[in-house]
Amino acid sequence: MASSGGQVGGVFDHHVQRAVCDSRAKYREGRRPRAVKVYTINLESWYLLIQGVPAVGAMKELVERFALYGAIEQYNALDEYPAEDFTEVYLIKFLNLQSARIAKRKMDEQSFFGGLLHVCYAPEFETVEETRKKLQERNAYVARMTKNKDHYVTKKHKDAKDFRGDFHSKTSRFPAASLKTSTGNSDLCLPYSSELPLCYFSPKCTCSSGEHVDRPSDSSQDGRNSGESLGRCDHCDSLQKMQMKTSQNSLARRGAQKTLTPSEAADRFMPRTTQLQERKRRREDDCKRGTLLDACTSSNEAVIGPQLPVIPKVDMHDDSLNTTANLIRNKLKELTFEITFERHLTMGQVFRNHNLKEKDYSLVLELGFRKCFSHSGTYISQM
Amino acid sequence: MAQKPKVDPHVGRLGYLQALVTEFQETQSQDAKEQVLANLANFAYDPANYQYLRQLQVLDLFLDSLSEENETLVEFAIGGLCNLCADRANREYILQAGGVPLIVNCLSSPSEETVLSAVTALMGLGSPSAGSHPELTARPVVQCMLRFSLSASARLRNLAQIFLEDFCSPSQVAEARSWRADAALGIPLPRTEAPQQP
Repeated sequence: MASSGGQVGGVFDHHVQRAVCDSRAKYREGRRPRAVKVYTINLESWYLLIQGVPAVGAMKELVERFALYGAIEQYNALDEYPAEDFTEVYLIKFLNLQSARIAKRKMDEQSFFGGLLHVCYAPEFETVEETRKKLQERNAYVARMTKNKDHYVTKKHKDAKDFRGDFHSKTSRFPAASLKTSTGNSDLCLPYSSELPLCYFSPKCTCSSGEHVDRPSDSSQDGRNSGESLGRCDHCDSLQKMQMKTSQNSLARRGAQKTLTPSEAADRFMPRTTQLQERKRRREDDCKRGTLLDACTSSNEAVIGPQLPVIPKVDMHDDSLNTTANLIRNKLKELTFEITFERHLTMGQVFRNHNLKEKDYSLVLELGFRKCFSHSGTYISQM
Repeated sequence: MAQKPKVDPHVGRLGYLQALVTEFQETQSQDAKEQVLANLANFAYDPANYQYLRQLQVLDLFLDSLSEENETLVEFAIGGLCNLCADRANREYILQAGGVPLIVNCLSSPSEETVLSAVTALMGLGSPSAGSHPELTARPVVQCMLRFSLSASARLRNLAQIFLEDFCSPSQVAEARSWRADAALGIPLPRTEAPQQP
């Protein structure tokens, strides 16, 4: 099965171009029609075999075209390789495995001087040392990626735990939508899909861990690893991106978990400053219900974290005037908080849509919040 | 590369992988099984997916598929395992699940890709040291590798040589070499062994 016996199209099986698969289920169809094939590190190689090159003396142009994807170490025509009439077969060796992967993916089935190129890997041209180096690089890459991922996931789970503790104490005033949704659906009684832990379905956990866990694969998008994840992404992400909605629908039909939408994710992300404000507001509400005289800057609750700046009170030297001033001051605080919160929600959604990094987002919120607060503080002290 | 979706990709990815696993178990169509298994095996190349694959027990799915009659399913499953073995956590899982004998069986497959993936998977399981797992360098395995190192296939030759040099001690190799060839049990050569014309 390894050799087709020197027939045109492939001396080796892995050189033969397979037919594209046309019977895929809709939810897992990719953007480009593809054959059913598994790529392992054994198959991938610095060496690319290019078949179907029209015999018009265009070797230079061919090499230049491939060189767009990375430095080429060597190239030559394979005259003894069985080829279609009027076509030639070339071997190109890239300096970098990454470049070879990208070139293969981009140049396969591309038009060149009137012909369609068929590009495949040619690992049989490797020496023992090259194969060894390839395997070592692969192991190093995986070790690096899993190490980074572990670091981010651990950090984010730790943050998510603190976050969750604060969040659970919130009132329904906040869009705490689906904390309860999608936790009870792990009744998949299939042998390979074991009961999934709650946290994976908890929207907040996936939302927050997803943001950071995404980073390693994001960071791998640039540099030498981009081709690998792109390569896999092209197999996998293109399928899942295009079919996300369909798969979500099909999952819903099977009663599986509810997946996050972007607005839900944005709604549920609450920056820490608003949590502090909310706690302060609730304290003040309680105090207000208890007594009208006291502005409740003191409280029986233990205050966690940095205190927000307290607006200095102006003494009017008259009880009734002080009462009025306090009432107005409290009302202003309420209004300020409501306005800024609404604005931050909107801003949050805007920022999400533009894929701002979380640290930028929370920094802007801090600045915006402080600005609003100081603004109201100035206003009140002028009374 | 297209823009990333607005939805958190890892939420969608887990769901998608789960859908694949479900289809694999429920479908009656061999074509669909092959397509899904190939899809999962390709996902197994990207370390970003490993936690999901472990969670969905895809490693067990691959190991079980090694006993399928359909050669294509075996080839895809061992390809997936080969991709996964580079990771320490996956490695430990496979060793504990008793995956070594199943993978060793693949060394006698008629498909060259299957054999190559099996050799690479064994190397993956053996790193950093094969000493802690003696079944990886058991005599039949070493003898098998010795025969592969004389194969007409350059890819198989290279891999076998790396296995013998990096994962076996010289004494193990010498002992396997001196043992009677016809007494080597259990691992016939794949049919690709016959020398091909250039």
